[in-house]
Amino acid sequence: MHGRLKVRTSAEEAARKKKEQDLKAKAYRNGMDKIFTLRNAENFDNNLLELSGKILSVNPDITTLWNIRRECIIKMTTDNPDSASTLFDRDLNFTELCLQVQPKSYGAWHHRSWILENSPKPDWNREVSLCTLYLKKDERNFHCWDYRRYVARKANLSAESEFKFCDEKIQKNFSNYSSWFYRSQLLPVLHPHPSDSSRPISEEKLKEELEIVITAAFTDPNDSSAWFYQRWLLGYSDPKLDLACFKLTQSQAVIAFTKLVDLSKDKITISTNTSLDKGIWRSLSGNKSDSIWIQKGEFEISDDILIKMNHNDKTFELEARKIDNNSIIGIKLPSFGYEFGAAVKEELKNQLDSCNQLLEFEPDSKWTLLTAALLMRSIDRFQYHEKTLEYVRKLQKVDSLRAGYYMDLASKWILEEKLKNMVESGKFDKIDLSSLDLSVVYYNQFLFIGNEINLQNNSKLNKKSCKFALVDGCKVTF
Amino acid sequence: MDFIDEDFIDHNKNNKNNHKKMEVDQNEELPTKFDMEMTIKYVANHGNDKNDFEYTMTEFLRMSGIYWGTTCLDIMGHLDKLDKKSIIEFIKNCQCKKSGGIAACDSHDPHILYSLSAVQILCIYDALDEIDIPALGKYVQSLQQIDGSFFGDKWGEVDTRFSFCAVAILALTNQMNLIDVDKAVEFVMSCVNPDGGFGSKPYAESHAGLIYCCVGFLSITHNLHRLETEKLAWWLCERQLKSGGLNGRPEKLPDVCYSWWVLSSLTIMGKAHWIDGAKLKEFIISCLDTETGGFSDRPGNMPDIFHTLFGIGALSLLGYENLKKINPTFCMPEEIVSKIYQAQILEY
Ligand SMILES: [Zn+2]
Repeated sequence: MHGRLKVRTSAEEAARKKKEQDLKAKAYRNGMDKIFTLRNAENFDNNLLELSGKILSVNPDITTLWNIRRECIIKMTTDNPDSASTLFDRDLNFTELCLQVQPKSYGAWHHRSWILENSPKPDWNREVSLCTLYLKKDERNFHCWDYRRYVARKANLSAESEFKFCDEKIQKNFSNYSSWFYRSQLLPVLHPHPSDSSRPISEEKLKEELEIVITAAFTDPNDSSAWFYQRWLLGYSDPKLDLACFKLTQSQAVIAFTKLVDLSKDKITISTNTSLDKGIWRSLSGNKSDSIWIQKGEFEISDDILIKMNHNDKTFELEARKIDNNSIIGIKLPSFGYEFGAAVKEELKNQLDSCNQLLEFEPDSKWTLLTAALLMRSIDRFQYHEKTLEYVRKLQKVDSLRAGYYMDLASKWILEEKLKNMVESGKFDKIDLSSLDLSVVYYNQFLFIGNEINLQNNSKLNKKSCKFALVDGCKVTF
Repeated sequence: MDFIDEDFIDHNKNNKNNHKKMEVDQNEELPTKFDMEMTIKYVANHGNDKNDFEYTMTEFLRMSGIYWGTTCLDIMGHLDKLDKKSIIEFIKNCQCKKSGGIAACDSHDPHILYSLSAVQILCIYDALDEIDIPALGKYVQSLQQIDGSFFGDKWGEVDTRFSFCAVAILALTNQMNLIDVDKAVEFVMSCVNPDGGFGSKPYAESHAGLIYCCVGFLSITHNLHRLETEKLAWWLCERQLKSGGLNGRPEKLPDVCYSWWVLSSLTIMGKAHWIDGAKLKEFIISCLDTETGGFSDRPGNMPDIFHTLFGIGALSLLGYENLKKINPTFCMPEEIVSKIYQAQILEY
């Protein structure tokens, strides 16, 4: 069904082929009938193994035939325990045969692991070698990669030795997403960040990795494999869970989180040492998960409030201050990405220089533009704000397939800058977000803090993304 | 969701060599219009010749084949072209009396993949009560493991595809209480990768087909908030290639079936606008076989019913004219699903 070219044939050729196929179909039918007859009679013997083998070696996706082989092996080894090792070995060889025909057969891979799990003396190291061999033939076969990770664990191979294998693969061919992927799984085990669990690897290792990956990426800038790895190293800006914002008025309390949470399930407790602790938080949207949660009631506006959130034995705090007789508000600016140390930043600056040099020769190079923008954000997202926007606007043109993504990315970065300025100024009453070419409003969980929000003149804005407008007391103009 | 992987490419290179002597007309222009009539006939006539070689050799996934056929005919508004009675009879015969599970066809063993296909067909025909639903529920329940994962059948293969099948079956038959949903969610979440994607089991490489299963799973269990959508949706939108087609992993060839796995996942996360829908439409239509109807994986290849459904499914998500709306989570007509179960969809 995959990758089969449609070819034009003469009438005779077609007729000949039809005849050949009719014979094959008949042979298959007969074979299957025999197999099911034997199975129903519980004749689990060599004959049944042979018959099922004939069909499986041509079509290894017929799960039921693998099941029948397992039934045979179980029955035959129960009747004659001495035959076990011969039978297991024979089926190991048989699956190898099938995998040569069809290296992506779920059935054949699974049968292999079933044999090993059930055999008295499985040789897991042999399996690792087999994977090494198969990955030479096709270095992207994910069935084989996944099987390798499974047998490597069974063989108790260290992360170091797997890293060595993976590194050799990358050195041989940079263009291999599967190896870079494995690398991103192994490094956090080998070089964890000593203090920050949200960071995958230590700063020292990060610096080394950045050097390696940029060389690889520049070797063939149009191959995406290394660029994905680079982006992983720089970190994605999906926020970690924290308290975001709080607003209490006489009739309503609103609490917001940096990401969607399900307060009924996610084992999050909120304490404020006020009457709010007895009330029930309801999600703004009515959905099970939301970033904004509301309590209605009659509340007294008296003192500042310290809000504490407990999640997985970690405590997060947010200070909310009484700003007038009508409201108590608190806001905590999120981190918009990792804050790297000086040594890493130095390396990032070098890489930015290299990217910019490359852009002089190839101004439309998509991956270089994107990486340069991400590097600038990692070095100092606000100092480079205008420049990063310029690059992303350019990406909308040179990588037009993903124009929608870049529009949203620009909108996100614009809002981050606005939020930062808002928090620094301490003025939350009126928020002006007009004429910014926004396509979507990120950071809803901070915006309800304002009384008047101006979103006029953003012609491409998806209004559905402005959920905060549903919060009572929040006046939004589009 | 029985899907066979993308790239038999390497293996099929040999095939092409065998065909070297045969002529391939390279100059033929690719289709730019979707003539629905011919494709309706293509799907409706599929399996008319029971002795046909292809048909015989694919009997091990027959139940899924019927699901692909009924769904795409219904989306095209021509479900009447198939014989409801004989299909329901066929399904009844495939339910295992002992386990309650459903097999791909007569004499074959029950499996969760074909159990879901059967349930999907029965929903389309509004005929769930034709089979033993409680027995099927028990079957699904029996396949859940201590870590929350699911076996595909009693032989112990674990895969996130089966987690999807389990919750989809239980949602469509209103029996979700039979399993430990929280544990099932924890297992699926243990398969998240550093790149934001999902593989078939913990530590397995990200793959668009399996991402669909996991995103679909989280949509059915209302746990989409557990996703890092920005990261995952970016990885997915990078699947679109110059031709407009989508691949399943970085640096692979485009394939019509990935139009579905990728676009449905993006739709569930509210990010369908992160790819170029018009270009994708062009690519899918270029894979139409204008002589026989039906879609193939890539332009100029042989069409099949699997790619025909996923091509049409993606066209429906893109709002193609005269197609019924398809539900991105269940890959079934929206009008059917909306009567049975409300899955979670993010708006942006
Ligand atoms: Zn395909």
